[in-house]
Amino acid sequence: MSAAPQMLASARARAKRRAIAPSRGGRPWTFYVLAALFTFYVVALYGPMICIYILSFQDVRGGLVFPMKGLSLHWFVDLFTQVRTGDVKGAFDRSIKLAILVTAITVVVSFMAAMAFRRRFPGDNIVFAMMIGSLVAPGLVLGIGVGLLFNAIGIDTSWYGSALGAQLSWTLPFGVLVMFAVMSRFDPAWEEAARDLGATAWQRIRLVIIPVLAPGLVAVALFGFTLSYDEFARTLQTAGPQNTLPLEIWSMTLNVTSPSLYALGTVTTIISFVIIGAALGTIVLIQKRRGARARAH
Amino acid sequence: MAVQRGDIELAGLTKSYDGINTVVRGINLKIPDGAYCCFLGPSGCGKTTILRMIAGHEDPTDGEILIGGEDVVGLPPVERGTAMMFQSYALFPHLSVRDNIAFALRVRGLSKADRYRQTDAMIEKVRLTELADRLPAQLSGGQQQRVALARAAITEPRVLLLDEPLSALDEQLRVEMRLELQRMQRELGITFVHVTHSQLEAIALADLVVVMEKGEIKQAGPAREVYASPKDRYVAEFLGGQNVLSGKVETIEGGRLLFAPPDRKSISVPLRANARVGVGDRIDVAVRRDDVALLRADAIISAQEQSALPCRVLAIEYQGSFVKVMLDAVADEDFVAYVPERTFFSDPFAIGDIALAAWAIDHARLLT
Amino acid sequence: MTLSRPLVSWLYVSPLMLVLIPFFVLPILVVLVASVFETDGFGSLIPTFTLANYANVLTSGLTFNLYFETVKFTVLTWFFTLILGFFVAYFLVFHVRNQLLAIGLFLICTVPFWTSNIIRMISWIPLLGKEGLINSALLHLGFIHEPLGFLLYSSFAVVVAYVHQLTIFMVVPIFNSMARIDKRVVEAAFDVGASRFDIMRLIIVPLSKSGIALGSIFVVSIVMGDFFVTKVMSGGGSASVVGAFYEDISVLQYPSAAASAVVLTLVLMATISLILRTVDIRKEITR
Repeated sequence: MSAAPQMLASARARAKRRAIAPSRGGRPWTFYVLAALFTFYVVALYGPMICIYILSFQDVRGGLVFPMKGLSLHWFVDLFTQVRTGDVKGAFDRSIKLAILVTAITVVVSFMAAMAFRRRFPGDNIVFAMMIGSLVAPGLVLGIGVGLLFNAIGIDTSWYGSALGAQLSWTLPFGVLVMFAVMSRFDPAWEEAARDLGATAWQRIRLVIIPVLAPGLVAVALFGFTLSYDEFARTLQTAGPQNTLPLEIWSMTLNVTSPSLYALGTVTTIISFVIIGAALGTIVLIQKRRGARARAH
Repeated sequence: MAVQRGDIELAGLTKSYDGINTVVRGINLKIPDGAYCCFLGPSGCGKTTILRMIAGHEDPTDGEILIGGEDVVGLPPVERGTAMMFQSYALFPHLSVRDNIAFALRVRGLSKADRYRQTDAMIEKVRLTELADRLPAQLSGGQQQRVALARAAITEPRVLLLDEPLSALDEQLRVEMRLELQRMQRELGITFVHVTHSQLEAIALADLVVVMEKGEIKQAGPAREVYASPKDRYVAEFLGGQNVLSGKVETIEGGRLLFAPPDRKSISVPLRANARVGVGDRIDVAVRRDDVALLRADAIISAQEQSALPCRVLAIEYQGSFVKVMLDAVADEDFVAYVPERTFFSDPFAIGDIALAAWAIDHARLLT
Repeated sequence: MTLSRPLVSWLYVSPLMLVLIPFFVLPILVVLVASVFETDGFGSLIPTFTLANYANVLTSGLTFNLYFETVKFTVLTWFFTLILGFFVAYFLVFHVRNQLLAIGLFLICTVPFWTSNIIRMISWIPLLGKEGLINSALLHLGFIHEPLGFLLYSSFAVVVAYVHQLTIFMVVPIFNSMARIDKRVVEAAFDVGASRFDIMRLIIVPLSKSGIALGSIFVVSIVMGDFFVTKVMSGGGSASVVGAFYEDISVLQYPSAAASAVVLTLVLMATISLILRTVDIRKEITR
């Protein structure tokens, strides 16, 4: 019986020691550990790619690894002119066109699907399960399935037909999931207020829903573009005779043993950055313009 | 535009979900044109559902809603001549104050020049001219509310519906905005239907107070009638300001009855002409808290004119112009006296003091 | 004319169905059907009903090895991406005080994903190879006397490539879940004297469960469905289930490939249903 108060006291003392003291502006030791981990992660993330970018400027006499024997643009030229490295320009062209198509369709269809899911409707669980299924199914298996299907029906596979559909089966679930997250911040009272003031359904969509969701729609577009531009597994079996860029890169990986592969990596990165940078810039511009219009007066 | 009548009549209005959950049970009510009507009740009593059905944001399961004499059930909100002010204001976050208010005109197809002209006039009315280009996120709560009001009023509705418009504001702002609402209603001259859970708000603003519980109207009438002459225990307790005693009737004689709360001696209550009570019935009696005088235990009472209950002081709350004194005059019930401040402090009581709670016999009211 | 609400919803979701049915449901069915056919060995399919393909797949020792390798990589990748992803997200949400800075750092983590994932995978080669940067640096600094061979064309390289590519799939959902945690709950725990590890264990981890589950689903399904990372980074030393599937397809053995694909898909679906049991994803996403 007399041991109990002692145990209580020592438990209290232990708790006091472990308790976190209010920081006086300083940082706990865990911050430094985690910051170091974060830095390591970022370095590991960017490091290899930066090596590639540097190596793409490898001198003519250099090989696939360090050290750099000099700087030159030789491999970039090699990339675009040598026939043996495949139809790089054509692949670029097709990839961008396909990505733009996929982006546009993904934004519209994801928006519509998210509108459908705002309320429960009969069969909504099935649709949701199909979406998740399409997301996690092995890309190659679906690709083969699409290829077989088109063969059976008698339509040729092509980058603008079967590959488009196959890519959409991958980008749409992502787009819809992002739209879900965006929609959950949309107050249904806004739509009701618009209805109360006399707006028709189309006016509600055009004047209230889309403008408020605009940054989210740009995010979906971003996802759609990135996922399509990089899509490989599903496109592999469905693109038909003409390659998209990832397919081109893949065949280069297997066949080419020169830094022109790295040059391709650098070029495709620059293009990605330009397009995505533009998209992000658009979001920032939309937000800024809303704020500025208000502050200017 | 011809002036349309804004009187509202609800006939047998019912709303139930999935046939199981009935939130509004056969409501019958007439709201005169141009009146300020407040629906008062706790959460879940159905008041907001009724508001939304009048607005057209929800469909009734049964019953009629007549505005200006025409049945509006089935009509979309815009064709009813109603406009609603939402609880969270629901201001469009991407539009400026001016564009928010002009929204109704925009969807009707007015040109920018036309709609801005009308909007600017409305902005003047609600005194927001310097803020016309701000976004809602840059406004204070009171300013947002004025924008919401202006946005609804610009459609020249015959009925304005307000869903707990003052709940989101802090105390001081709430008092200010109450005056603003009163002012707007008088200026616009249209029917206001205002839903609230605050009895102070309801009696301050309304011409017609409708007290609700669990989907039914308990009492509807002018504020004074509902506060000072509640019909039953629920209304009396919800409005506050009343002590409610229950007990069994002992005798009935000459316009008065005697009833006894448990373990207490009999109290005399005036009998209303149309009351139907018999000896032995259980009844509820209400005594206004500000009618209760707090006397010392040895004070002299005139038994012909006053009722009195011995009690002890349980708690004291200073309320500024009066002091709220909680007493244990009746077992299992709250009994409170509102003592005028000066009176209290001329001979202050302390917690635990023995006292006598007294009131004029005629000030007790029989409840149904 | 007002349409009934369910009808409106179906109209809205119809374009999605127009894509999912021909490009997900039907292909899966086609693969299913192909798995019970026979082949003439030259790419034509003979419509019959035979379970011989499944028998082959399920009894073959090769299958067991393939699954073992694939599951091994899946578990390792899942483990490392979880640890890394969790603590990166934790750092961003709870230790970075300036919200703008947190979003900026978050974006920095996502930027690499704007580039081709194949390029990102092969970018490890000049680093990890015997003549690569890491070996050269370690030799130069004197930590080792011979280049480390296990860095490239090994299981190590495969896991490194996977973790490099997939940690972001953990970071994003976990970041999302953590950002939703009401900081006042953490403050209340401080208030009663909880230690940092207590808070992590009792509050943060349980409340991030849905993010962890979602991230796990992504990581598991991508690794199990992948075929080229394993092949390239192991230098052909290891194979994956889908890799074998790819090889079968290349030699036109469609039915047996299809059977193996169906088995893999079932295993994958089973794993994911297990993960989904721990948390109601739909409610989390649409909240």
